[in-house]
Amino acid sequence: MSVEGAELERTLGFVEAMTLGGGTMIGAGIFILPGIAARNAGPASSISYAIAGFVALLAALSLSELATAMPIAGGSYHYVNRALGSLSGSIVGWGMWSGLMFASAFYMVGFGQYIVEPVPFLDGRGYIILLGLAGLFLLTGVNYYGTEESSSLQNVMIGSETAVILVFVVVGVFFIQPGNLDPFAPAGARGVVATTGIVFVSFLGFEIIATVAGELKNPSRIIPLSMILSVVLVTVLYVVVMLVSTGVIPYGRLADSPIPVADVARSYLGPAGSVAIVFAAIVAAISSSNSSILAASRVIYAMGRDGVVTEWLNTSHPRFFTPHRAIVTTSAFTAALVLAGLRVDAIVSLLAEAASFSFLVAYSLVHVSLVVFRRVDPNEYDPSFSLPFPFYPVVPIFGVVLSLVVLSQMAPVIVLVGSGIVALGVVWYAVYARTRVVGEGLLREAIRPAPTDVNRVVVPVANPETQRGLLRLAAASAHASDHVGEPQLVAVNVVHVEHDSPLQNVEADRAGHQRDLLDAAREFADEMDVTLRTRALTATDTGEAILNVLGEERPGEVLLGWDGDTREGKPVTGSTVTDVVANAPCDVALVSLRGKVGTPVALVTGSPDDAAVVRRAAEFASLDGTVPTVLGVSSGDDDERAARGRATDVVSEVAAATGRSPDDYHVDVVDGDSDASLEDAIGAFETACVGYQGLEAVGGPVERVVETAARNGQNVALVRSST
Amino acid sequence: MAPIDELTILVPVDLSDPDPPRLGVVDLLDPLEVVLLGYFPVPDQAEPALIRGEYEDEAQSRLRDLVAGRDLTEVLVFTHDREATIDRVADQYDCDAVLSVREANEIDRVLVPLRGDVNVERIVSVTARLLQASDATVTLFHSVAEDADESYGEFLLRGATDRLVELGIDEERVDWELSESGDRKAEIVQLGDEYDIVVLGESEPSLRDRIIGRVLSHVVDELTSPALIVRETE
Repeated sequence: MSVEGAELERTLGFVEAMTLGGGTMIGAGIFILPGIAARNAGPASSISYAIAGFVALLAALSLSELATAMPIAGGSYHYVNRALGSLSGSIVGWGMWSGLMFASAFYMVGFGQYIVEPVPFLDGRGYIILLGLAGLFLLTGVNYYGTEESSSLQNVMIGSETAVILVFVVVGVFFIQPGNLDPFAPAGARGVVATTGIVFVSFLGFEIIATVAGELKNPSRIIPLSMILSVVLVTVLYVVVMLVSTGVIPYGRLADSPIPVADVARSYLGPAGSVAIVFAAIVAAISSSNSSILAASRVIYAMGRDGVVTEWLNTSHPRFFTPHRAIVTTSAFTAALVLAGLRVDAIVSLLAEAASFSFLVAYSLVHVSLVVFRRVDPNEYDPSFSLPFPFYPVVPIFGVVLSLVVLSQMAPVIVLVGSGIVALGVVWYAVYARTRVVGEGLLREAIRPAPTDVNRVVVPVANPETQRGLLRLAAASAHASDHVGEPQLVAVNVVHVEHDSPLQNVEADRAGHQRDLLDAAREFADEMDVTLRTRALTATDTGEAILNVLGEERPGEVLLGWDGDTREGKPVTGSTVTDVVANAPCDVALVSLRGKVGTPVALVTGSPDDAAVVRRAAEFASLDGTVPTVLGVSSGDDDERAARGRATDVVSEVAAATGRSPDDYHVDVVDGDSDASLEDAIGAFETACVGYQGLEAVGGPVERVVETAARNGQNVALVRSST
Repeated sequence: MAPIDELTILVPVDLSDPDPPRLGVVDLLDPLEVVLLGYFPVPDQAEPALIRGEYEDEAQSRLRDLVAGRDLTEVLVFTHDREATIDRVADQYDCDAVLSVREANEIDRVLVPLRGDVNVERIVSVTARLLQASDATVTLFHSVAEDADESYGEFLLRGATDRLVELGIDEERVDWELSESGDRKAEIVQLGDEYDIVVLGESEPSLRDRIIGRVLSHVVDELTSPALIVRETE
């Protein structure tokens, strides 16, 4: 038994998804930022967290739909790239990567603060930066060498830090002094919104679930559940933490603390409470930063897959099999950002805000992408989690608007830095990616009004490179019948999978084939002046998958390749082809191409396929600009006159239906009972078109033509009419 | 439980190793159905598709070399989690046992350590099926836990012996041994070296294993003989 191809195991379950999402979110954001948030917005900063959580929830909703439709690596980058094209893809890809660096640097500075502050003999910014760098170095080392099954360790870390925070809030609510919460919003609504931009960084992480979608078991269930649940739970947690913090310590005093939550804990839980929070903060910073590094390597992988960055970055280490270059590059930039803390006072809030900026831009484009996917509704787009009305379109519209509101209130320096990164994405696209990328967006289709009529021809292809002849013939067919509508070709590739298990990543195979198809199709479509769409599917039953496509596309005809082998006059094909020919809802042509199409000949035998046969012959003739010959076949009691009459009738019928003149066809007759005259008559043509159902007559003229053509190396098309 | 007619075993092999262990022992188990699982471990840091893109051809050719014309089912998987993959593939192909591959030249002596777990019936069935395919002899082994009653162990071993005989194994070929030293793991590892193959049950993961990480069997990794780990089906 042979190997079908390597499988990709999906290994992350619900618990892993929750700890990955929740664990990344619960990081420095909630341990460091309450001080800064309190300074900027007072007790009302809990509302900033609530707004930020709501913006994150909107993004999580849109992402859930997109991620269940395309459960492969890359997250936001991948959806935007598919929907809006590589320019937007580059912007989001670079934005996410740099956003993860900013976030990672932010976590590591927070890590430094939480170690330096409580220890009496360590003091000053230098130590904070040094410890941050040391922590980063350690994490980089661990990730360079690679870890296996570290998710269980992650579970323990997230579990303990969450337990500490829960104790903190549950006990803390009893120590809230209402007096501290008044005035509630000293900086007004503006302050609350501006603070939202800073604290949004605390919600980065839920998206990591979408970023690692290719590794999740049962993604259609786990992605929406874990993303939405983790955002909601974490939002509630943050709001309560903020209320407890500002309720226990007056916000003015809280604002001065670099480790605000530990100070709050000390006031009612004593030194032990403070130590526990410090411990939790350190663990949280490490796990968040670690997840960011993992997520960054997925984003870079996805960008490399689409040709947006060089494959060099994605080459894995020969011994550890880690994407070591991507990891080291990410860490090097992160280290530079941490180092900037030596010179920049407000480094913590700047890093937080810069990371928020990148992701807010990314999520705005994600919302737009959702709208594009819904409008174009490509056939591959079949999300298992779909936003119901009125969530669609309310969620994406609100998501874009709110993201823009938060972005507009950010510090000017952040807007400058953020726009710089967007500009970098644009420049990168123009200079590097534009000529290399293989995908194309759906945006053009989304804004173009739907074409009124199309004449669609479907061609299942196994390998787009080797089946150019078939595609060319199909293009000619689509053009020849363009009185029906705009000619359009649909190339279908079905990846056969042995088992359709939710534990395996077949989506990655589908994406790979889609890429190959697009690659070959782009050139070809230009050459043949035809609209070409590609569809890549995975299925356990190839025939059924093709029939599904035919049902959805409602094409005029389908062209199937066949190697021309016959046994006892019957075409030797797999059960797949037999299945499609027998059940297709449209005309089917089974084509064996052995050479130039040249002049086709159509045999009219009085079968129900006759009209379809003549049509195909005329379409094929248009490829080389020849005039098709229609042969009336006489046999038995049917004399030549009857055969000629039949041929003429079919020609007039077809000519009338396709808007041509009957003079566009040669009409002749042949004696179907004589092998010699049949061979003679066929021999003059390059391509023979015969009716599929004529094969039922064993030893009949159709069977003999197929055998003769095979001997002579002629092309054969077996045509079956749908009616 | 009915005796097992068609014994299907899963043979996992790490294909990231440029020189994976040879499958000689599989030939010794010849009349059995074999599913060869070539797995390529992927660290958490890498997307499995990335590693597959780079190593698929290499892994396929290593797998082909291992198969060397044998008639068996092959599966190639890139995975973060070896254990999860073994479980999934074993379920998918209805495997009764998992073989840990070691060098072996013959299978004459089989060691079967038994604990009082629910799986004992299956372990005995698999052992019987193995013995039917060869002329090997078997030693059933039980290590009495420190605070346990010795008579239970003897009861267990005698019962298992009777069951083997019932399943058509000549009584001459069955032997049993009861140990009271208390260190089950060390004893099995030590004793296992004297045998050609060890048949043992899948250990129930402890709470610690569930949190820190599962281990199929700590014993298996230290054995120098091949081991057949009988899966729990419930």
